Amino acid sequence: MGKLNNKEIKELIEKSYNCRVNILKMMKKGEGHIGGAFSALDIMTVLYNKILQHDPGRPKWDDRDRFILSAGHKCLALYAVLADQGYFNQDILWTYNTLNTKVQMHPDEKMLPGIEFPTGSLGHGLPVANGIALSARLDRKDYKVFVILGDGESAEGSIWEAAMSAAHHKLDNLVVIVDRNGLQVNGRTKDIMDSSAFEDKFASFGWEVRTINGHNFSEIYQALSDVPFKEKKPSCIIADTIKCKGLTFAENKFEFHHWHCEPDKIDDAIDIVEAVKRKELAQVG
Amino acid sequence: MDNLNKNNDIYEDPRKIIASALVELGGSDKRITFISCDSSKGASGDPFRQKFPDRHFEFGIAEQSSMGTAAGMATTGKIPFITAYTPFITMRCFEQIRDDVCKTNLNVNIIGNNCGLSVSTLGPTHTVLEDAAILRALPNMTIISPADGPEYREAIFAAARIDGPVCIRAHRQKAKRLNKENYKINVGRGVILKRGKDVTIISNSTMVSKSLEAAEILESLGINAEVINMHTLKPIDRDIIVESSEKTKRVVTVEEHSTIGGLGSSVADVLIKNNPVKLEMIGIDDTFAIVGKYDELLDYYGLTPEKISKRIKNFVNN
Repeated sequence: MGKLNNKEIKELIEKSYNCRVNILKMMKKGEGHIGGAFSALDIMTVLYNKILQHDPGRPKWDDRDRFILSAGHKCLALYAVLADQGYFNQDILWTYNTLNTKVQMHPDEKMLPGIEFPTGSLGHGLPVANGIALSARLDRKDYKVFVILGDGESAEGSIWEAAMSAAHHKLDNLVVIVDRNGLQVNGRTKDIMDSSAFEDKFASFGWEVRTINGHNFSEIYQALSDVPFKEKKPSCIIADTIKCKGLTFAENKFEFHHWHCEPDKIDDAIDIVEAVKRKELAQVG
Repeated sequence: MDNLNKNNDIYEDPRKIIASALVELGGSDKRITFISCDSSKGASGDPFRQKFPDRHFEFGIAEQSSMGTAAGMATTGKIPFITAYTPFITMRCFEQIRDDVCKTNLNVNIIGNNCGLSVSTLGPTHTVLEDAAILRALPNMTIISPADGPEYREAIFAAARIDGPVCIRAHRQKAKRLNKENYKINVGRGVILKRGKDVTIISNSTMVSKSLEAAEILESLGINAEVINMHTLKPIDRDIIVESSEKTKRVVTVEEHSTIGGLGSSVADVLIKNNPVKLEMIGIDDTFAIVGKYDELLDYYGLTPEKISKRIKNFVNN
C-alpha cells in the first residue's frame, strides 16, 4: 500500500475528531474512560477506515479481519467508530450511562454488532486473539487479528503468556498495537509498574517490533499496512500516545483516565476539541 | 435395574476412555481441537495429537492464556477441548472461564484431570476439593462428573454437542463399569441405579460405585436404599431429587469433594425450596486433604462403602 495523501489524512482527522466530539456528547450523561479512548482513537480510526477488511452490513462475515479491544475500558472510542462505520444507529450512543444501555462502560459482544469479544477485565484480549489467529491458519483463511493493548494493562501476566505462545506458534497474522500513553488509573505507568522498554520485551519474546507516533496518521497507516513485519513472526506496534489527546486541559493527566465530568463543562470541551481539529487540519495544509 | 451392567468386574482407566472418545469425535467432526497445557501425555491428548496433529495445539504451562485462546478459537466455530490438572484448569484461569467462556457461552470443553483425591500423594496443591463449588456458580456452565467408562465416553460426545461451556471432572482412578456398553447419557437427568424406599443416596463420580456397595451393606441390615447417579452437577436434576425424596423422606449425598458448594449443596438447594426433608452430606468437610495412598485417604475421610453405610445407618435410625 502507498502512503496517505493529504486529502486522506484530512478525512481521517475529521473522522477521529468527530468521534471525540460524539464521545463528549455521550458523556453529558456522566462519567467515562475518556483518557484511553482519546489516546487510542486515531489508531482505531485508521484501522476501521483504511486497514481492516470488514463489512458493517455483514458483521459476522467469515473472512473479516478481527479487532479485539483488549483494553476494554477504551470502548467509548470503539462505540464512536463503529457507529460512524454504520454498524449501528448513532442514536444508540446517546443512551450511554442510562439503564440497561447497549453502550456499556465495557464492551459486550451480545449488545451491538461489530464488537468481536467482550473485554473489560484486563489481560484477556491477546490470548483470545491467539485463538482466532490459530483458527484462521487452520481454516487457511487470510484474515488478520488486530489487538489494542494498554501499557498499564500489560502488567497482567496473561499478556506475556500469550505473547510467548503467539511467537511460539509463529502467528504472523496477529498484530498487537500497544497504546503507550504512559498513564493509568493511579498515576504514571512508569511509577506504578515500569513497563518501559516494551520494544525489548516484545522483541525478546519473539515478536517483530516497530515504534510509531500514535497520533500521526501517516505513521499509523504505514505501520499497519506493513504487517506482518516479518514472515512467521507476530507484529507489535508500540504507539506512543497522549492520554486524552485532543482535550487540551486533560491531556497527559492521569485524573482523566476516568472522568467524572460535569455536564455543563461538555460544551466547552467540545469547543476545545473542535479547535484542535481545525489546528490539525491546518497543519496538513 | 436395567441400567446396570451385570458384569461388574470391569475396571477402566478414564484417561484411556477419554482419549479414544476424542479420537473418534475428532474423526467425525473437523471442528474439534485439542488445547494442551503441557498436559497431553498425562491427560488423554496424545492419541488425538498423533491422529490430528494440525488440530492439536500445545501452549505449555499457561492455563490463563490457554483458556482465552480456547475461547477465541470457539468464536470461529471450532470446538476446543482443553485440559490440565483440575486445580490449574479451573482455578488458575477461573476468570478466563467466567469472562471468556461462560459470559460468551462458547462451546469450550474443559476436562479437569485428576479431580478429587485422584493424586492423593501429591498434596493439597494437586488434590482438589473445591472445583465443582466454584464452577457451579457460573452461568451457562454445565458440569459432568462421570461414574464409569461408558459415561466418560458419553460425556465427551455430549460436551461437543452442547453449544456452550462444559466441564468434565475426570478422575484418575480406574472406574468400575456400572453401565451397559450402549449407555446413553442424558445431561441434566440423574439415573436411578437401584430403587429403594427408606433413604435416597445421591452421588457422582467415584462415589457412585461406593454408594451402590454401601446400599448392598444397608440391604443386609434391613435398610432399603435408593441410589441415584447424579452425573450432571449443573444443571441439577430437580425432579429426580424431589420425586425420590418424597418417597424416602431422607436424602444422603456422597461426593469426593468438599461438602461446601458441591453435590451436597446442590441437592440441599433443591430440597430446601421444594421438599425440605432430612439431609446428610457425606464428603470432605472444609479442609485441605492430607497426603497418602488413594484408598487410605478414602478410608480416612469416611468414603469407603463400609463407612458410608455406617453413617447412613445412623442417619436413618436417628
